[in-house]
Amino acid sequence: MHLDPFELHEPTTVEEALELAGSLSGKFDYLAGGTDLLPNYKMHINLRPHLISLERVSELRGVSADRIGAMTRLAELEEHREFGAAYPGVAEAVREVATPLVRASGTVGGNLLLETRCFFFNQTYPWRQSLGFCLKADGDRCHVVPQKERCYATFSGDLAPALAAVEAEVEVAGPSGRRRMPVEHLYNAAGDGILRLSLVPGEIVVAVHFPAHARRARAAYSKLRVRPSFDFPELGVAAAVWGAEESPEKVRLAIGGLETYPRRFDADTDPLAGAALTDAKVRTVAEAVTRRVRPVHNTFLPPDYRRRMTEVFVRRTLTRARSPSGSRAA
Amino acid sequence: MATEANPYRLLGTRIPYVEGPLKVSGRAEYTDDLTRPNLLVGRLLRSPWPHARIRSIDVSAARTMPGVAAVLTGEKYPTTFGVLPITHDETALAVGKTRYIGDILAAVAASDELTAERALEAIRVDAEVLPEYSDPHVGLGAVEEPIHSRGLNGSNIQKEVIQHFGDVDAAFAEAAHTVRVRGNFAGVTHAFTEPLVTMAEATPDGRLTVWSATQVPHYLHRALSEVLGIPLHRIRVLKPEVGGGFGGKSDPLPHEIVCAALAFETGRPVKMLLDREDVFLTNHGRHPTQNDLRVAADAEGHLLAYDLSAVIDGGAWSSFGTVTTYYNGVLAMGPYRVPNFRYHGRRVYTTKPPSGAMRAHGGTNVRYTIETALDELAEKLQMNPFELRNLNALPPNSTTITQFRITSTSFLACLKAARERSGFDAKFRKLPYGRGIGLGCGFYISGSNSPIHFTPKMPQCTVHLKADMDGGIAVHCMQADIGQGSNTLLAAIVAEVLGVQLDRVHVVPVDSDVSPVDIGSYSSRVTFMMGNAARQASERLLALLLAAAHELTGYPAKQLRVREERYEVAHRPDVGVSYLEALHKAMEHSGALQASGAYTSPPMGGTHKGARAGTAPAYSFAAYVAEASVDPETGFFAVEKVWAAFDCGRPLNRLAVEGQIEGSIHMGLGQFMGESMNYRGSRLLNPSLLEYKIPTPQQMPEVEVLLVGADDPEGPFGAKEAGEGPLVAILPAVGNALYDAVGVRFYDLPVTPDKVWRGIERLRADGKRWKGT
Repeated sequence: MHLDPFELHEPTTVEEALELAGSLSGKFDYLAGGTDLLPNYKMHINLRPHLISLERVSELRGVSADRIGAMTRLAELEEHREFGAAYPGVAEAVREVATPLVRASGTVGGNLLLETRCFFFNQTYPWRQSLGFCLKADGDRCHVVPQKERCYATFSGDLAPALAAVEAEVEVAGPSGRRRMPVEHLYNAAGDGILRLSLVPGEIVVAVHFPAHARRARAAYSKLRVRPSFDFPELGVAAAVWGAEESPEKVRLAIGGLETYPRRFDADTDPLAGAALTDAKVRTVAEAVTRRVRPVHNTFLPPDYRRRMTEVFVRRTLTRARSPSGSRAA
Repeated sequence: MATEANPYRLLGTRIPYVEGPLKVSGRAEYTDDLTRPNLLVGRLLRSPWPHARIRSIDVSAARTMPGVAAVLTGEKYPTTFGVLPITHDETALAVGKTRYIGDILAAVAASDELTAERALEAIRVDAEVLPEYSDPHVGLGAVEEPIHSRGLNGSNIQKEVIQHFGDVDAAFAEAAHTVRVRGNFAGVTHAFTEPLVTMAEATPDGRLTVWSATQVPHYLHRALSEVLGIPLHRIRVLKPEVGGGFGGKSDPLPHEIVCAALAFETGRPVKMLLDREDVFLTNHGRHPTQNDLRVAADAEGHLLAYDLSAVIDGGAWSSFGTVTTYYNGVLAMGPYRVPNFRYHGRRVYTTKPPSGAMRAHGGTNVRYTIETALDELAEKLQMNPFELRNLNALPPNSTTITQFRITSTSFLACLKAARERSGFDAKFRKLPYGRGIGLGCGFYISGSNSPIHFTPKMPQCTVHLKADMDGGIAVHCMQADIGQGSNTLLAAIVAEVLGVQLDRVHVVPVDSDVSPVDIGSYSSRVTFMMGNAARQASERLLALLLAAAHELTGYPAKQLRVREERYEVAHRPDVGVSYLEALHKAMEHSGALQASGAYTSPPMGGTHKGARAGTAPAYSFAAYVAEASVDPETGFFAVEKVWAAFDCGRPLNRLAVEGQIEGSIHMGLGQFMGESMNYRGSRLLNPSLLEYKIPTPQQMPEVEVLLVGADDPEGPFGAKEAGEGPLVAILPAVGNALYDAVGVRFYDLPVTPDKVWRGIERLRADGKRWKGT
């Protein structure tokens, strides 16, 4: 496999990058760590003739108490002791991403914007051509759920649910200025594997911001996958609990790796505020969430199993997060 | 035995690989490290259809593209080939039909990768799509369009084996206990580190030189000659370092022949490096198999009979399939005495990537079936699984009903060691729910007695030695070091016999111009056969050196003994000569010293049809205990520890043997817990190392290796194989441990967490309890 030639642009400021993006409209991809984009390029998936590297944009760097620059390497975050102590659930998710080699290159922004994945999409050009191209690249049909309207590719990032659970926000810069939004709003909740983001063309994720209450949360992240390394999540559950176990102020649950976008389940967790978070309540929430999720067969493990594991993983993750000791050990 | 003092200076110790420093420093040269002036890049166009008749292939646009040196299609080299002389059904490129998604339709040689791939895109293939046959059971009867014309009675059956020894029906009629199991095994592939790669150059002197990542340079040599129509002596095959094979580099492969053909077409050197997806599609991995086994035993637990039938999914080509079909039956014949045996094996062509030989070829799936069935039998008998094995173990110097001669076996010693070291009896059925322990045993050939050869009377291995005035000893042999350490063993044997330091011995890289034939690294034959040939060659060279030492000392050669770098009089150690003095004296008569040694396996086996299959000059034996823990809510399990008792006779390089056992356990665990070639119809869904789930180091258990073999009477220095036999026992050991942990039998491999979870759920739904649940 080879990479087709492309033109590489290396802006040094966000504004310069946006200007380039404007002039190359529709003909470029932003390049962060490259661990997601370049393998897809090698498979000739949705190639663009221009790459705008964000490597030299200094504003996208840096880790502080309440902000992570989008170009922060996952390995850098993993080694950041204060960050790990402040946001243990996010730190758990970071450690679960791929392998040390990938984390050395992969970035926070890249993981948030990870391309959705599917057995019928993450394949070489000849493979996809042989089967008939799919909706998500070069074609007009879906091989997972036979129809021609909607793509079921799975959102496979680990960081998004962990960040959404502690109510982190993303800062985005675009042609019409800057905006901030909750992490989960970065994604298209209409549930389409192609139109997966709420960003407008050219927009860049600049940083993740943590509101003051984020570091008061006890949080945890659990990941279902066949192997304890390498593999993308087949289910990723993040939980955050504020306040005492006997009387939590707030509980948040977010799930990735299961559907086309990471979801939060506030309607199920809001009623948990104010009363003891008992095993029975945890179980009830886990069962309620499990009834809502709809995985399809486009990853390694069968969807029925992944759905049933949602109950186990929600229960276990929430149990870890509610305990005053367990989740802050990191 | 391991407890006795080692009589050897080098052999039996832990010998680091002689090429190790080059490999760890990145200096070792693999095929892709090599280059030639004006090198072209070769690329393959693969079939997008599982089964199609080719109407035409239009290469005109590709051929005229700038930078394209040649475009090749199948009709130019239609001669069939295949690793077994009796089943030549492959062509280098598809001729007339394409038989799986990945079959080679055309090939391009171009100035660079990009140009070559652009040229492939410009090739137009017109084809009539034919029925797809992904399920081997469909191919058992007559089909509309057989994949090959050689299919039995219009079916897709490539090979059918029907054998009956003794009287199985009578044995079942008198049996006190019977067990019936069906094992289903997904296909797995070798996933060696170094991808397939070949470089070829045709020169104006009429010769063809081929460098290739191969386990069997000699079979490649033959296939090149047959298909390209060039006499063997005008072809030169070189084997650089090889990054693993596990059977996947033992067939002559189409891309190797295509690469050589492109070199001929262009008159320029061509290199073809396959992508990982290409490697998956080339496959030749372990056959997807369904085994149906019935076992009969008397009231005391003596085995009375096996009744076995198998449907084996061959994929598009024959490859080693005839051997596979036999092995899947006859390798059931150890390590126990089985007085009655019936086998019906059918290997069926399908429109999928070809299956072939993979580490513990033919012996792995049937072994799992047997060993889990025996675990069930032991439970019925209310007998400790070890006692059942002890009762039925084949004794040394015995003969199986299939006429395999069993010479050495330390199987009972393996059982004893594994049982004691693991504390099995204190744990079996006594560990808490979710934790379990299991026994699995193994048996494998130590070198196939049947060389795949036109003239089987020739030796299976020849070794040449040359000692010159520099004191170095060059060793020539076509044995293929593929990372398993055969170069190191070869050097160590020579050094041991001659008494010289290891660094005097140089194993010359395989080059068919100078390396005498050895039939390669497969069937776990190298230590046994090459070892014996090397020992004989070394003893002949030593005789020349001792004759010279006699000239110098005046003492007869038989009174001289070999010390390190020195030959001295046994009863007067102060009298002696150095190795160099003896060497230089000997050279006065003939110049550089030469010696040759060879190995031919002795006559053996019965006279029935297929009697040679499974015959070997020796067999390895194994008894493994695995301890595992299961998370019953998720089905995830971990193998915590493995006690691996193995009989490889005398281990000659303990480091290599331990490595083989640990590596085999990793590979066997892969097949058990996650690896599988996943198909939708005939389409391989996971041709990548991300979605083909090789276990990570975190999933590897602690392994305690217990080497308990006694010397084999015919093995070199008492050794037998340790490259394949160590794999088979781990799968049933873990399967039986999972049963002990949660009370569920797993007969459908791989046993992924969802299957464990489902099994536990089903047990609960049936209201069954297990160990206090």
